[in-house]
Parts: sequence; C-alpha cells; structure tokens
Amino acid sequence: MAPKVKLSSEALLILTSLADGTKHGYAIQQDIVRLSGRRLGPGSLYGAIARLEAAGYIVATEAEGPRRPYRLTASGSRALADAVEILRKVTTTATRRLATR
Amino acid sequence: MRTGILLSLYPATWRRRYGEELEDLLETRPLTLLLALDIARGAFDAHLHPELLQPALFPTGGIHMSFSTLKRPSALIPLAISLASLSLVLGEVAFFREADQQNRALRLSQLLMAGQIPLIAFFAVRWLPRTREQALLVVVLQVVVWLMVAVPVYFVKV
Repeated sequence: MAPKVKLSSEALLILTSLADGTKHGYAIQQDIVRLSGRRLGPGSLYGAIARLEAAGYIVATEAEGPRRPYRLTASGSRALADAVEILRKVTTTATRRLATR
Repeated sequence: MRTGILLSLYPATWRRRYGEELEDLLETRPLTLLLALDIARGAFDAHLHPELLQPALFPTGGIHMSFSTLKRPSALIPLAISLASLSLVLGEVAFFREADQQNRALRLSQLLMAGQIPLIAFFAVRWLPRTREQALLVVVLQVVVWLMVAVPVYFVKV
C-alpha cells in the first residue's frame, strides 16, 4: 500500500487540475486561476510538481517543445480522492455548525 | 536575460529537468518583483530538497519521507554549538561581575568554538561528495555562523 502523503494546497490544486486530463505547466497554471482565482508563481508551481512527481502522484509525458505535459497516476487519483473526502467532511461539519450559530 | 539569471539560482540538476519548462512559463508574463521572489524561494527550496529529483534513492517516495541535508545532526550540531557559545559570551558580559567567572565562561566558549572545527570538517568530507550543492550551502552557513560567533568569543577582553 502506498504511503499516505499530506497534500499542500498547491499540490491539491494541481491534482485537481490534472483530474480531467493531461496538462503542461502553463495550462495547469491557467486552470488553477479559473478554478480557484489563485495564480501559482512558476517557482511554487514547479516546487509542487517536483514533489508530486517524487511521490509518484503524477508523471511527465512526452514533451511538446519546451512544454512537458503531466498526467495523474492511479495513486495520485487515490490521494486526491482521499483529500476530497476529508475536505467534504470538513465542509459538511463547518456548514452544519455555522447553521446552528 | 533576467530570466536566465533567475534560473541560475536553481541547482544544475533542477535546471536540466525543469529549466526549459520554467523558462517557458516565465515568458508568459512580465517579470515582477513578486515573480522574482517566487523564483528565488523556489530555488532555495530546490537546494534544500535535492532528493526530490532522485526519487529512486527514497523508495517509499512520500513527500514526508524526504529530508534535507540541513536536518542531519552533523549539520545542526555545529550551528547549535555556535549559538550556545554566543549565549555564554553574552551571558558572561550581562551576569558575571567577577573576572574569574567571566574568564571561565570565556574559556568554555573558546573550547566549544574550537571543538566545532572537526565537526564541520566531518560534515564537509561526508556530505560534499554526495549532495554537493546542498552540502556546500550548509558548510557555508556553518562557517559564516562560526565566524560571526568566533569574533566576539576570541577577541573579547576580560
């Protein structure tokens, strides 16, 4: 069984972006702006990409010029599902507690 | 040009792997101070975590399983001793009124500083051949901190 790895917010955004298909760095950055309003700087983006690659959660595919697309792996997909489940519990609890205030 | 300077902050292995992609991304937006700071922070992180580009060395592959050379005891102990020596020197000036008490604290600080030299040498011999850039960063840090503390420790007049 793969070790459980705590995902940073940058890593979670990248995995979410790659969940609907292969993307290169620029496309990931643009997708993250669309889905969260947050623009990851190149240093932060590639720091998180390197960690996700080292963890085996994403893999680089064949380069298209200077751009190298990345793909979500099966273990990356499981890690994202686990993180989403935790977020779902937190969101549900927060919503319920806010409603009772 | 400025992009090249920023990318040169990264370790060579990192530039070989991600340099072209990073450069491509940098060219999509005008260079701002925030962007430059983000790159500088990323480069510092890359120096601290060279193992991210060698996942085969870390078979469990987890983000939390990675560690930096800076966290090794032989990297941290000399830094801790330097700080202890500095505390002793400052303490003797602040609290000890008697000359023999000040002398004793000063001699102890000098011994601690001298004792660090073989520890720094041990770290350099052991780690420079393995993680060259990261170990060099640690050795430079150890030497700078040693010099900063050694000056008051060896030149204080009691």
